[in-house]
Amino acid sequence: MQIRLQQLAPTFIEEEKISGSQVWKNDIVFLPGEKIQIVAPSGSGKTSFIHFLYGMRTDYTGEVIYDDQPISSFDAEEFSSYRKQKVSIVFQDLRLFTEQTVLQNLEIKRQLEPYHTESRIEAMARRLGIASKLNKPCKTCSYGEQQRIAIIRSLQQPFDFLLLDEPFSHLDDANRKLAMQLIEEEADQRKATIILADLKTTDHYNSTKTLNL
Amino acid sequence: MSKWFGYVGLSIGVLLLLCCIQMYININSLLKNKNPKKDGFDYLPITKMITDENMPNSHSFTDADIAEIKKQPFIDDAAPFISNGFVIKATGGTTLPFTSDVFLEAINEKFIDTIPPAFTWKEGDNIVPVIISSDYLELYNTAFAPGRDLPQFSEKSITALLVRLDCEGVNGTESFRGNIVATSDRINSFIVPESFIKWGNRHFVNSNGPAPNKVLIRTKDANDPQLLKFIQEKNYRINKDKTLFGRIKSVLQAIVSGLAAFGVLMILLALVLFSFYLQLMIARSKENLQLLLMIGYSPSWLSKTVSRKWIPVYVSIIVVTLVIVAGLHWAFQHFVMKDSNELSPFIHPIVIAVAALLLILSIGINYRLVRKLLYRL
Repeated sequence: MQIRLQQLAPTFIEEEKISGSQVWKNDIVFLPGEKIQIVAPSGSGKTSFIHFLYGMRTDYTGEVIYDDQPISSFDAEEFSSYRKQKVSIVFQDLRLFTEQTVLQNLEIKRQLEPYHTESRIEAMARRLGIASKLNKPCKTCSYGEQQRIAIIRSLQQPFDFLLLDEPFSHLDDANRKLAMQLIEEEADQRKATIILADLKTTDHYNSTKTLNL
Repeated sequence: MSKWFGYVGLSIGVLLLLCCIQMYININSLLKNKNPKKDGFDYLPITKMITDENMPNSHSFTDADIAEIKKQPFIDDAAPFISNGFVIKATGGTTLPFTSDVFLEAINEKFIDTIPPAFTWKEGDNIVPVIISSDYLELYNTAFAPGRDLPQFSEKSITALLVRLDCEGVNGTESFRGNIVATSDRINSFIVPESFIKWGNRHFVNSNGPAPNKVLIRTKDANDPQLLKFIQEKNYRINKDKTLFGRIKSVLQAIVSGLAAFGVLMILLALVLFSFYLQLMIARSKENLQLLLMIGYSPSWLSKTVSRKWIPVYVSIIVVTLVIVAGLHWAFQHFVMKDSNELSPFIHPIVIAVAALLLILSIGINYRLVRKLLYRL
């Protein structure tokens, strides 16, 4: 799968911010296996950009194109089929089912289109240090733990693209490193493209291309 | 809360509707075929209603009237009675001393139940065969003959009788011998072959005779409410006794149909309540549903899963009501009808079919509604 941006620009950001950008109002193709780093200070539209790519918002000009098809023409069924098999995401605001247990949160994603076995969940949780939380309600976990849950969740499905929106904001350096390693391993396994948006260059990320928003 | 109102409403509505359908079928099978039929048909004479107001008008049937009667789907066939426009005097012989003006009528032979081979007449024949109503013979035998000390006749012996028929018109007088060849249970008249009446009208009075005032209709069911409605609308007159069941039936059917309409209304109301409940439920779990859609669950999969939850509810409502209807019908057949074989102790397949249809309908509506609500998220 390929994602292409064609003169993409949000409708709500000032012209001067757009003109200096390496992303907005550019024609960009994301190729398989690329590791993209998007860097931008807060308020410059990082989250909006990720949401545009994922098809959650439409307040932009230009086009986001999945495999030659502009996503503005997609209906809910088409989006769900891409989200099930080709595009995975870690939201900045995580979006977990806070009433459910950690394991339920992971299983609900895994069962939709299983890429790993159930035992892999436990192994991943152990690796990121949240194994003891698996049967606890999600709302009892700290934000840092919830961030790791969201990361593990995003890795339960097949994908060609992994979108990460400030995924490590509440992790310490050691945990960042562990998480980043896991993400890169999983992406490499799938020969997938990572698009990671952050405030500054992310440590431990072997990015192949950095774009300033 | 609205969920339970919905369940109860749906159950009552379905129960009412199914009961009404079964009752409608019962009424139809109980109030059918109450008149003796020789060939599966009822024969009924119809005339135009003569009232004080319309007395001076003509009460004869035009060709258009007859064509319209024949055209009705519940009337199999119809034929006018044609009558004599000339004067006929009948004189009995020594066994039956009487003289009287009489009338003769003719009708298409297919409408007569008893036609002996002798029932033909052609110009030049002196003997005119006559079929009389068996009621007339009975009246003569029981009311007329004993008082006058006259002989009584059996249906067979009366055929030996010859009556002189003096026919008279502007073109002169001629005598014939009338021979009663049969009696009829169906037709209340003196019937002679059509050829005789037609010839007589032409020969004696140079006309085709008076326009018909009576039409005999042949119908599968004299109690068909549609037939009665037609007769009433056209202001025709028909034997009330023969169609009494039809009148009762149409009243009962109207009542049952009204109840069924009420049942349908209740079902609709229940479905509206369900839709409110669904909207509430989906609104309440809006965030979770949105999140599921966000992580890749498809709206069609979600709607199937959500609406599948309701299938057992709908199935149990329909099955329970069907069982109640079957129980009620059995009780009616057993206690009220005393196990009469006019009714089957089991509910009619149509009732089961309607129940199945309602089930499919409610599941379908439910699914579409959930789907619509989810797509709106």
